[in-house]
Formats: sequence, C-alpha cells, structure tokens
Amino acid sequence: MSLIEATIAWFTNPANWEGPDGIPARMVEQIAISGLSLLIAALIALPIGLYVGHTRRGATLAVNLANIGRALPSLAVIGIVLPITAAIDPELGFKLYPLVIAMVVLAVPPILVNTYTGISGVEPELVEAARGLGLREGQILRRVEIPLGLPVILAGLRTGAVQIVATATLGAIFGLGGLGRFLVDGVAQQDVGQTMGGVILVAGLALAVDGLFALLQRVTTSPGIRAQGPVGGATPAAASAPGVVSPGNAA
Amino acid sequence: MRPSRMLALGASLLVLAGACTTGGGSTPTPSEAATATPTQAATASPTTPPPTIKIGSVGFYEAKIVAEIYGQQLEANGYTVDRAGIGLGTRDVLLPALESGQIDLQPEYIGSGLAHYEPGKQTGDPKANQTELQNVLNGKGGGITVLDYSPGFDQNAFVVRKDTADSLSLTKMSDTTAVQDQLKWGLATDCKTNPVCAAALKTAYGLQPKSVTYLSACDTPMAQALLAKTVDVAELCSTQPDIVKNGWVVLQDDKQTQPADNLSPLVRNDYLAKLGDKAAFEKLLNDVSAKLTTDGLTQMGAAFTFDKKDIKDIAHQWLVDNGFVKAS
Repeated sequence: MSLIEATIAWFTNPANWEGPDGIPARMVEQIAISGLSLLIAALIALPIGLYVGHTRRGATLAVNLANIGRALPSLAVIGIVLPITAAIDPELGFKLYPLVIAMVVLAVPPILVNTYTGISGVEPELVEAARGLGLREGQILRRVEIPLGLPVILAGLRTGAVQIVATATLGAIFGLGGLGRFLVDGVAQQDVGQTMGGVILVAGLALAVDGLFALLQRVTTSPGIRAQGPVGGATPAAASAPGVVSPGNAA
Repeated sequence: MRPSRMLALGASLLVLAGACTTGGGSTPTPSEAATATPTQAATASPTTPPPTIKIGSVGFYEAKIVAEIYGQQLEANGYTVDRAGIGLGTRDVLLPALESGQIDLQPEYIGSGLAHYEPGKQTGDPKANQTELQNVLNGKGGGITVLDYSPGFDQNAFVVRKDTADSLSLTKMSDTTAVQDQLKWGLATDCKTNPVCAAALKTAYGLQPKSVTYLSACDTPMAQALLAKTVDVAELCSTQPDIVKNGWVVLQDDKQTQPADNLSPLVRNDYLAKLGDKAAFEKLLNDVSAKLTTDGLTQMGAAFTFDKKDIKDIAHQWLVDNGFVKAS
C-alpha cells in the first residue's frame, strides 16, 4: 500500500508539476528527444526500405545490416559513441548526441525491414498491371506499392516509436532531461513515489504513441484493403521475413 | 591465475615456515618462562599457532585490496587466513556475517559503516565516527572492536580540472562560492535530497549552482563529463583513480561537509579473546592502517582499474613498499 500511497502523493504534489524539472517539462523533453530520434531514423530507413523493396536490389544486405542494430544494446551504443561526440561538443555531445544515435540504431531496423517487406510484398500481378497501364517506376511506387504497403510500413514506424519512447529514458544516466530523470533520480533518492511516477508516465506515453500510430494506420489504410487479411497484398513468404512486425501486433 | 596462486601459496608457506623459525628465536628466556602462568606459556608457545582468522570485505575493489593487505600482514606474522569472505557482498550482507561470526574481521569505512546502523549520525570528524561506531558495535555479535582508522579515506570529493583550478585559483570548496555561476556542476543524482550534498553545500559554502548536470557520483559518466568539459566541478570519490590519471585537483572540503570515511578493521571480540597476545595482533593491523593514505589507496585503485593487476599482487606490493614484508 505504501508504494501506491507514495505514488499518489508524488502525482498530487503541486511542486512536481512546476518548473524545469516538473512533470510537464519532462514530458515535453521526452517527446522532443523521441520525436527527433524517430525523425532521423525514418529519414534513414524509409528511403532505403522503399528503394530496396521496389528494386529488390541489395535486400539481403540491407535487411541483415539493419538487423545488426537489434543486437546492439542501446547502452553499449551510448558508451561507444560518447567519448567521440563529447570531444566534439562538451554539452550536447555528452548528453544528447549519443542517446539520439543509440535511438536511431534502435529504430532503423523495424522501420527499414517493415518498409522493405511492405513494398516487396505487394502482389507482382498488381505491379505488372500498373506497368502495363503505362505507369513509370516512381508512379508505381507512389500509387500502388506505398498505399498497399502502408499498413506494414506504419507498423514498423509504430514499433520504432514505442521502443524509442521507452528507451530514451537511458539519457538520464548521462545527465539528459526527459522522463528518465524521475527513474534515475528516484532510484538514487530511494523515492519510490517518484520512481513509480516515472514508470507510469513512460508507460503511459508509450501506450499513447502506440495508440496514435494505430489510429494513423486505420485512417491511412486504403479502403480497398482494409477488410482483408493482416497485410494487404503481401505474400505470406514476405510477411514472415526476419524481423517483420505485422500491423496487428506492433510493439 | 594458476601459477600466481601457486606462487602465492608457496610464498605464504615460506612465510609461515619463516615465522616458525624466527618464533623460535623469541622463545621466552628461562626467567620469563618461569614467571609466566601455564596458560600464557601455552598460548605464547610457537607450537600453538593463533586460530585461523576469517576475513571478509564488501565487493568494492578498494575494500578487497585493504582486506587483502590486512590478511597478508597477518599471514606474514604467523596467522592463518581464511579469505572466503573477501568480496562477499554489500554491507547488508557483510555486517550480519560479522555479527554472526561467519567472518572475524573486515575493513570498514567508518562513516558509511556508522550510517548503516545510525543513519545521519556520521560526521566529518573520523574520531567521532569511530567512537560512535564503537558504541554501536559494543552491542553487536557479542562485541566487535573498531581498531585504529587509516589517515587515508575515500569520501565524496568535489574535483576540478587543473586548468579550471589554475584559472580561477581554486584549492578549496570555499573558493568556489564567488565563482559558482561561472562553473558547470556535476552533482550526484541523489543530491537534492541527500543531507550531505545540496543542503550542506548551501549552508556551508553558500552554493546554489545554476548549471547542474545530475550524474551518478563516483561513476564513469561523472569522470567522463569532467574530462569532456561537460562539467567543471564533478562529485567523485576521493580515491577514484581517474583523478590521478588526469591530474585533476580535489577541492579541499574546508567546512567538513562530507562524512569522514576513513578505514578501520572491525574485529570480533571473541576472536581477540582467543589470542595469547591481543595487543600484538592489534598492533600488526594498526601499523598497517597508519600507513594507508588517500594517495596510497588511489594508486592501488589505479593499479587495479587501469593496470588490471591482481588484488593479491597489489596488496603484496603495498606491504613491500611500506616495509611490512620483504619482496618475493
């Protein structure tokens, strides 16, 4: 009971809702850090995934290279990168850059693999038909492959986003703000209310992001494939490629 | 590992043999023997070695090194040492083991040891900490004795880079008060609520730093942050080898805000009672403690952290350097 009471007391203490280390400020920091990381990861993974998915060139290389990122613990990435970036910029190179790089390494694999799978999984007959109608390659990608592959692509972004939101708390170990502060400081101060408060806030934000992407998937899915199976047009073989997240059970 | 262990075993056997033969030389003269009571004669006899002493320590490398130093010092003087308890665990594991007699001796940081039993009672005065800890331990496990504490200590220290110290002429904590806003501070993650951190800095030095990065004290990121100039003042441990390695300056805690964590051996009274010459035993350990300086602890930490040396070898080298044992 004391854990619950301490958590309630922490949430209901007005002091915890004010100033640069209050809940709203930390929440904004967490969203900003996560958003930046997801943006960079998407800018890297989406073009590669689209290219490889459409041309099928270098698919094995790209997918396997991306999956190495899954094997690297984020804390290890930070540890490796930090001495280098800190030498470049003592402030951001210590606190922000290593974390963002680690988050990009974390989120590129699901985004890239799902984008590749979503695009390459579109039925070849549809692509051939589009080509027969006289569409150029870019048009095929934009008008046929992306709309059909979008649920799978968004599932990758959804997984990446949720992973980033939860894992970016690591930044607090290296002096960064965000919701991780409540976890790191709460443990150090043996303040269970603050620690549990941080846990609830991180979990809540992760669920909210997950829900947002679920909504986005629903809204953007082409009506033609909405009622069908798990992946519109994707072949079962492609859907079971290593590391693919299906739209239904992202994260 | 194996050859060095064999060597160590051989060395300790040699030492034991040596102790036996030299012991022969100090056999009581006839007149002394005549006046000695039978029990005294029995325990003082070189043929009755003192009972095996079980030494323990927490898992922290520094505590293990100091435990090993006490152990080798005793071995060199004819004692048999059981090392099973060295590196046993945290204080929550170790102190109950000492109280229950699973171990007989452990090195303890007296400020933190006192805080374990009486949170908040620790002060910046080692003598007071030792006295208080002794009062507590009198009633534990049939009585435990706190022997002399070392001049060296490992405590939270506020450290600056040499260039910062030079340009702002900083040598002690009071020097930072006037320039506190020119400095970026790296403070412990528990600083806000820790009575010896934020509150003490404010009352003793008038410090209310504006630019603070919260990192785990005495940990690698804190040292990295000072190295990378992310912070200018870092809360490290005074014996942390990074300080020596980088030529950093430890600001003197001139208002004594940090609890004094000098090292003392804690010994069970029932072990002391089994000894023929309790005073000689205590002298062996007190002599060692008297030579344990902060510098020495730091250098041994560096030998462990940076040079990856074996703890037994580090302890042996220290005993040789300080004239307690001969080089082997």
